[in-house]
Amino acid sequence: MAVPISQMWTVATYVLKKKLAGNKRYPLVLMLEPLFRCNLACAGCGKVQYPPHILKKQLSPEECFAAVEECGAPMVSIPGGEPLLHPRIVEIVNGLVARKKYIYLCTNALELKRRLPEFTPSKYLTFSVHLDGQREHHDFSVCREGGYNIAVEGIKEAVKRGFRVTTNATFFDGTDPSSVRAFFDEVMDMGVEGIVLSPGYSYDKAPDQNRFLGRARVRRLFRAILSNRKPTWKFNMSPLFLEFLMGDRKYECTPWGSPAYNIFGWQRPCYLLQEGYAESFKELLETTQWEEYGVASGNPKCANCMVSCGYEPSAVIEGFGSLKGFWGIVRGTFSLYRDEHALKLLNEATPHGPANLVKIAASAEKTEPVLEETRA
Amino acid sequence: MTAEVLKYTLEQVEALELAPGAEHENLEGWVPTLANDEDLRQALDKAFDYRGDVTLTLKNGERGEAPEKIEAYIFNRHTGATLADSWVQYYSPNAPEKRKVSYAEIARIEFSGKDRAAGKHWEDWVKAYNEKKAAGEKGIALEPEALE
Repeated sequence: MAVPISQMWTVATYVLKKKLAGNKRYPLVLMLEPLFRCNLACAGCGKVQYPPHILKKQLSPEECFAAVEECGAPMVSIPGGEPLLHPRIVEIVNGLVARKKYIYLCTNALELKRRLPEFTPSKYLTFSVHLDGQREHHDFSVCREGGYNIAVEGIKEAVKRGFRVTTNATFFDGTDPSSVRAFFDEVMDMGVEGIVLSPGYSYDKAPDQNRFLGRARVRRLFRAILSNRKPTWKFNMSPLFLEFLMGDRKYECTPWGSPAYNIFGWQRPCYLLQEGYAESFKELLETTQWEEYGVASGNPKCANCMVSCGYEPSAVIEGFGSLKGFWGIVRGTFSLYRDEHALKLLNEATPHGPANLVKIAASAEKTEPVLEETRA
Repeated sequence: MTAEVLKYTLEQVEALELAPGAEHENLEGWVPTLANDEDLRQALDKAFDYRGDVTLTLKNGERGEAPEKIEAYIFNRHTGATLADSWVQYYSPNAPEKRKVSYAEIARIEFSGKDRAAGKHWEDWVKAYNEKKAAGEKGIALEPEALE
């Protein structure tokens, strides 16, 4: 695992304190969306479809700090929209660093290289750069030729300047697992600290509704991608969450683990669903009908979700909340997950659907096709 | 989640190959008939889900003094037992703060603004990309809509 020891220690002690205090519901990562405006127009995105007067609104630094302090989570993810379009983003980041919050600033990196001189490297600040795969795949995914090259320039400059950098990928139906593995090699060669990944989620408002993976397909895809790892690959995620994606663990969603705050307020019930807003974090926790969400609820809106904002908190709480869980982290950190069945899955994977319209040279890992269902 | 929504069993959830996407209703320009309380509730539910502005015509003007018509992006709603204790929360293009209006005050709803979630399908992008590529274009991209 690529997460630094100091960050792991902060999160581990936070979880243990909450456990000892008997808290049942507590946040781990605040999803702080300071604006919805973006400089990309990805066809699959369900986050930024708003009228212009909404896209022009943004949270002030003071509103951001108030939300962070009220929530109390040790980590803050800043997605959007594109946070680097916020005119006061440097002030927001500096204020959060001063509060010793571990920040993941999620960016498509179109503006990263230009804005880097305004930021100061810190163990608390990570640029999480959106890269959805190898060059052609990423450009096609974000609907912009040349987007990959610009992002990679930003990554290399940030690494050179001493910033923590991760890449952040979302995978949809039709993803070629061999290409993803080759992509892992490429990004590790760029000098990033680690890789972050997640299956896509079918936002109600996403213009396109035909590319989202169901859970059975997610497990097969991620078992093919994440088994038989190369020692050079580092993941900036809980190993237990990766095992969940591979089908080796079963978790229930922890929607309050990654609460979302934006110009509308505290989003119910989670970062992905928009069922309304609360005025305060306390109100969110106390008045949301949590039993109506998660796979156990049978709610169709949660049926295909295996996304990190809901399930990684479950994995982190298990990992730092019990000796068995912690042993799972240790074992997962050093395991390469050798798996012949997964190798067969990788070999028989036949990429299909829109993502496969972009042709990339086949990986050398391909051998004879063999049909094998995941053992999850 | 309402009671009549089809629920999945855990077995069904785990076996899903593809996620059933949401049906997108074409609501732009719609003016629902509000013959009774239930019509109003249903229309406001749709307005809450709509990714565009709506125009609300109030029965007596907003709080007795505001213009009778409100252009609103509705982002929140509370449904109480009666119309009087149900409300929607919204942003207006010409006001910086969040505002609320009771269901009981609303006489008419028009889905007047552009539906920002309509169109922009993946297939449209693939088609446009292939056409531009065949025409020899470089730097093919979708651009965000202008904010003005």
